[in-house]
Amino acid sequence: MILKNTIKEYRQKKSLTQEELAFKAGVSRQTIISIERYRYKPSLELAMKIALCLQIKIDVLFYFE
Amino acid sequence: MALSKKEISILIEIVFSIVFAFIFLPYFYENQDNNLILMDDLIGKIIEILIFTVIYFSIAYSLLEFVFKKKEAKDERDDMINSKSYKLGYLLYEFSLFIFIGYVCSKFQNKELLNLTGNQELYNNFNLTDAGVVFLILILLAFISIVKSLYQFYLYRTV
Repeated sequence: MILKNTIKEYRQKKSLTQEELAFKAGVSRQTIISIERYRYKPSLELAMKIALCLQIKIDVLFYFE
Repeated sequence: MALSKKEISILIEIVFSIVFAFIFLPYFYENQDNNLILMDDLIGKIIEILIFTVIYFSIAYSLLEFVFKKKEAKDERDDMINSKSYKLGYLLYEFSLFIFIGYVCSKFQNKELLNLTGNQELYNNFNLTDAGVVFLILILLAFISIVKSLYQFYLYRTV
């Protein structure tokens, strides 16, 4: 099972750039890039922050495949 | 290949370690058979290393700040990468410490064996001086620092 996410999809729906989302979540742009590419698994705290920034439920944003 | 500010700062550290190894280590290598007190202008060399280090990092980081004006947030991914790379550095440090202690012990043991065989010439050439110890420590530290930084750079590119 791989932890995947729909951050890119919802970020684009909100017309946010990676830089803007990174700023809102208080992380670097590289971290957002890594998460979107499934290279880095964020902590629960960061995952919730991103979900909050995108106004999406965390279980919609992150899922197992 | 676009590099981030953090990746460039790691490259600065790697370049420093390599430059240090090529410019200053030969001096310690040439003097490894001496005692520290007999080393030619040791204090001068230490001052030279300190001045070089301060100037190198001042220029390198000023240039880095000039090129990347935007401040990058330090986050949990940085912490994860740092903890992994420092862990590797620490393991290498521990491992090389064992190798180093083994080397020193074997050197003394071999010297005693040579003494028993009565080969005075070999016995006299079989010395472990304090400058030799300093050289070994410096080369190990430079090696560990390079490996740690390379691994850190690799993680930044792949994670």
